[in-house]
Amino acid sequence: MSTLANIFMLAGGLIAILAGVGVLRFSTSYARFHAAGKASPVAILVTGIGASLEVGWDGAAYLLIASAAMVLTLPVGVHLLFRAVHRTSSNDHLLTDDLAPAEAAQPRS
Amino acid sequence: MTLAAIVCFLIAGICGTYRLLIGPGLADRVIALDLTLISLMGAIAADAARRDDATYLPLLVVIAIVGFTATVAASKFIEQEHARDPEVGR
Repeated sequence: MSTLANIFMLAGGLIAILAGVGVLRFSTSYARFHAAGKASPVAILVTGIGASLEVGWDGAAYLLIASAAMVLTLPVGVHLLFRAVHRTSSNDHLLTDDLAPAEAAQPRS
Repeated sequence: MTLAAIVCFLIAGICGTYRLLIGPGLADRVIALDLTLISLMGAIAADAARRDDATYLPLLVVIAIVGFTATVAASKFIEQEHARDPEVGR
Protein backbone atom coordinates (compact mmCIF):
# COMPACT_ATOMS: atom_id res chain seq x y z
CA MET A 1 0.00 0.00 0.00
CA SER A 2 2.78 2.40 0.89
CA THR A 3 4.59 1.98 -2.43
CA LEU A 4 1.38 2.60 -4.39
CA ALA A 5 0.65 5.71 -2.29
CA ASN A 6 4.16 7.01 -2.90
CA ILE A 7 3.83 6.47 -6.64
CA PHE A 8 0.53 8.36 -6.71
CA MET A 9 1.89 11.27 -4.69
CA LEU A 10 5.04 11.52 -6.78
CA ALA A 11 2.93 11.50 -9.96
CA GLY A 12 0.82 14.31 -8.52
CA GLY A 13 3.94 16.31 -7.75
CA LEU A 14 5.27 15.83 -11.27
CA ILE A 15 1.96 16.97 -12.76
CA ALA A 16 2.10 20.04 -10.49
CA ILE A 17 5.61 20.75 -11.83
CA LEU A 18 4.19 20.56 -15.36
CA ALA A 19 1.54 23.12 -14.39
CA GLY A 20 4.16 25.36 -12.82
CA VAL A 21 6.47 25.21 -15.83
CA GLY A 22 3.51 25.95 -18.10
CA VAL A 23 2.51 28.98 -16.05
CA LEU A 24 6.09 30.15 -15.98
CA ARG A 25 7.11 29.61 -19.59
CA PHE A 26 4.06 30.02 -21.84
CA SER A 27 3.85 33.28 -23.72
CA THR A 28 0.18 34.31 -23.73
CA SER A 29 -2.34 34.60 -20.92
CA TYR A 30 -4.65 32.03 -22.50
CA ALA A 31 -1.90 29.41 -22.68
CA ARG A 32 -0.92 30.07 -19.06
CA PHE A 33 -4.52 29.70 -17.88
CA HIS A 34 -4.80 26.50 -19.87
CA ALA A 35 -1.72 25.01 -18.21
CA ALA A 36 -2.81 26.00 -14.71
CA GLY A 37 -6.48 25.19 -15.11
CA LYS A 38 -6.14 21.72 -16.63
CA ALA A 39 -3.16 20.29 -14.77
CA SER A 40 -3.82 21.56 -11.24
CA PRO A 41 -7.05 19.65 -10.49
CA VAL A 42 -5.45 16.46 -11.82
CA ALA A 43 -2.43 17.01 -9.57
CA ILE A 44 -4.62 17.52 -6.50
CA LEU A 45 -6.78 14.52 -7.43
CA VAL A 46 -3.82 12.14 -7.91
CA THR A 47 -2.09 13.39 -4.76
CA GLY A 48 -5.34 13.01 -2.84
CA ILE A 49 -5.69 9.41 -3.97
CA GLY A 50 -2.14 8.65 -2.87
CA ALA A 51 -2.46 10.41 0.48
CA SER A 52 -5.82 8.84 1.27
CA LEU A 53 -4.27 5.40 0.78
CA GLU A 54 -1.86 6.35 3.56
CA VAL A 55 -3.83 8.31 6.18
CA GLY A 56 -6.91 6.13 6.59
CA TRP A 57 -10.64 6.84 6.43
CA ASP A 58 -10.73 10.02 8.52
CA GLY A 59 -8.20 11.83 6.39
CA ALA A 60 -9.57 10.29 3.20
CA ALA A 61 -12.91 12.01 3.83
CA TYR A 62 -11.25 15.41 4.02
CA LEU A 63 -9.14 14.66 0.96
CA LEU A 64 -12.27 13.58 -0.94
CA ILE A 65 -14.09 16.80 -0.07
CA ALA A 66 -11.08 18.95 -0.99
CA SER A 67 -10.45 17.12 -4.28
CA ALA A 68 -14.12 17.28 -5.27
CA ALA A 69 -14.28 20.99 -4.45
CA MET A 70 -11.11 21.57 -6.50
CA VAL A 71 -12.27 19.59 -9.53
CA LEU A 72 -15.69 21.26 -9.50
CA THR A 73 -14.68 24.86 -8.82
CA LEU A 74 -11.33 25.44 -10.49
CA PRO A 75 -12.63 25.15 -14.11
CA VAL A 76 -15.36 27.65 -13.22
CA GLY A 77 -12.86 30.14 -11.84
CA VAL A 78 -10.48 29.73 -14.76
CA HIS A 79 -13.39 30.16 -17.19
CA LEU A 80 -14.33 33.46 -15.52
CA LEU A 81 -10.71 34.59 -15.74
CA PHE A 82 -10.62 33.66 -19.43
CA ARG A 83 -13.66 35.84 -19.99
CA ALA A 84 -12.18 38.70 -18.00
CA VAL A 85 -8.98 38.58 -20.08
CA HIS A 86 -11.01 38.37 -23.30
CA ARG A 87 -12.93 41.50 -22.33
CA THR A 88 -10.00 43.52 -21.05
CA SER A 89 -7.14 42.82 -23.47
CA SER A 90 -6.58 42.85 -27.19
CA ASN A 91 -7.25 39.60 -29.02
CA ASP A 92 -5.38 40.27 -32.23
CA HIS A 93 -3.06 37.29 -31.82
CA LEU A 94 -5.92 34.76 -31.87
CA LEU A 95 -6.47 32.85 -35.12
CA THR A 96 -10.16 32.22 -34.42
CA ASP A 97 -12.31 33.89 -31.79
CA ASP A 98 -15.69 32.32 -31.14
CA LEU A 99 -16.43 34.36 -28.04
CA ALA A 100 -16.38 37.77 -29.72
CA PRO A 101 -19.54 37.31 -31.87
CA ALA A 102 -21.36 35.77 -28.89
CA GLU A 103 -20.40 38.72 -26.72
CA ALA A 104 -21.43 41.17 -29.44
CA ALA A 105 -24.85 39.52 -29.80
CA GLN A 106 -25.67 39.55 -26.10
CA PRO A 107 -25.64 42.42 -23.60
CA ARG A 108 -23.01 42.04 -20.92
CA SER A 109 -24.08 40.69 -17.57
CA MET B 1 9.61 9.30 -1.55
CA THR B 2 6.92 11.53 -0.08
CA LEU B 3 9.66 14.07 0.53
CA ALA B 4 10.30 14.05 -3.23
CA ALA B 5 6.60 14.77 -3.79
CA ILE B 6 6.77 17.69 -1.34
CA VAL B 7 9.82 19.04 -3.19
CA CYS B 8 7.93 18.73 -6.50
CA PHE B 9 5.07 20.82 -5.07
CA LEU B 10 7.61 23.28 -3.71
CA ILE B 11 9.09 23.72 -7.20
CA ALA B 12 5.61 24.27 -8.65
CA GLY B 13 4.91 26.83 -5.93
CA ILE B 14 8.15 28.66 -6.71
CA CYS B 15 7.18 28.77 -10.41
CA GLY B 16 3.78 30.18 -9.44
CA THR B 17 5.31 32.73 -7.08
CA TYR B 18 7.71 33.94 -9.77
CA ARG B 19 4.85 34.40 -12.23
CA LEU B 20 2.94 36.16 -9.43
CA LEU B 21 5.78 38.66 -9.16
CA ILE B 22 6.48 39.25 -12.86
CA GLY B 23 3.00 38.63 -14.35
CA PRO B 24 2.20 41.23 -17.00
CA GLY B 25 -1.51 41.45 -16.22
CA LEU B 26 -3.73 41.26 -13.19
CA ALA B 27 -5.35 38.00 -14.35
CA ASP B 28 -1.92 36.35 -14.72
CA ARG B 29 -1.20 37.18 -11.12
CA VAL B 30 -4.55 35.76 -10.03
CA ILE B 31 -3.97 32.41 -11.74
CA ALA B 32 -0.39 32.32 -10.43
CA LEU B 33 -1.70 32.81 -6.89
CA ASP B 34 -4.18 30.02 -7.54
CA LEU B 35 -1.39 27.69 -8.66
CA THR B 36 0.65 28.58 -5.58
CA LEU B 37 -2.30 27.76 -3.32
CA ILE B 38 -2.80 24.45 -5.12
CA SER B 39 0.86 23.60 -4.63
CA LEU B 40 0.43 24.36 -0.94
CA MET B 41 -2.58 22.03 -0.86
CA GLY B 42 -0.64 19.21 -2.46
CA ALA B 43 2.30 19.73 -0.12
CA ILE B 44 -0.02 19.59 2.90
CA ALA B 45 -1.58 16.36 1.61
CA ALA B 46 1.83 14.75 0.99
CA ASP B 47 3.07 15.90 4.39
CA ALA B 48 0.00 14.37 6.07
CA ALA B 49 0.74 11.07 4.33
CA ARG B 50 4.40 11.30 5.30
CA ARG B 51 3.67 11.75 9.01
CA ASP B 52 0.50 9.59 8.92
CA ASP B 53 -1.34 12.41 10.67
CA ALA B 54 -4.70 13.81 9.54
CA THR B 55 -4.61 16.89 11.79
CA TYR B 56 -4.00 19.48 9.06
CA LEU B 57 -6.22 17.96 6.37
CA PRO B 58 -9.24 20.27 7.06
CA LEU B 59 -6.95 23.08 5.85
CA LEU B 60 -7.26 21.61 2.34
CA VAL B 61 -11.03 22.19 2.26
CA VAL B 62 -10.62 25.75 3.53
CA ILE B 63 -7.87 26.58 1.01
CA ALA B 64 -9.92 25.13 -1.88
CA ILE B 65 -12.99 27.21 -1.03
CA VAL B 66 -11.02 30.40 -0.32
CA GLY B 67 -9.06 30.02 -3.56
CA PHE B 68 -12.22 29.63 -5.64
CA THR B 69 -13.87 32.62 -3.97
CA ALA B 70 -10.77 34.74 -4.53
CA THR B 71 -10.59 33.78 -8.21
CA VAL B 72 -14.24 34.60 -8.88
CA ALA B 73 -14.08 37.88 -6.96
CA ALA B 74 -10.89 38.95 -8.74
CA SER B 75 -12.29 38.15 -12.20
CA LYS B 76 -15.46 40.14 -11.52
CA PHE B 77 -13.29 42.97 -10.17
CA ILE B 78 -11.19 42.99 -13.35
CA GLU B 79 -14.25 43.12 -15.61
CA GLN B 80 -16.09 45.82 -13.68
CA GLU B 81 -13.07 48.04 -13.06
CA HIS B 82 -12.05 47.72 -16.70
CA ALA B 83 -15.50 48.92 -17.75
CA ARG B 84 -14.98 51.96 -15.52
CA ASP B 85 -11.28 52.59 -16.18
CA PRO B 86 -9.70 50.96 -19.28
CA GLU B 87 -6.25 50.96 -17.69
CA VAL B 88 -7.24 48.36 -15.07
CA GLY B 89 -6.44 44.75 -15.93
CA ARG B 90 -3.68 45.40 -18.42
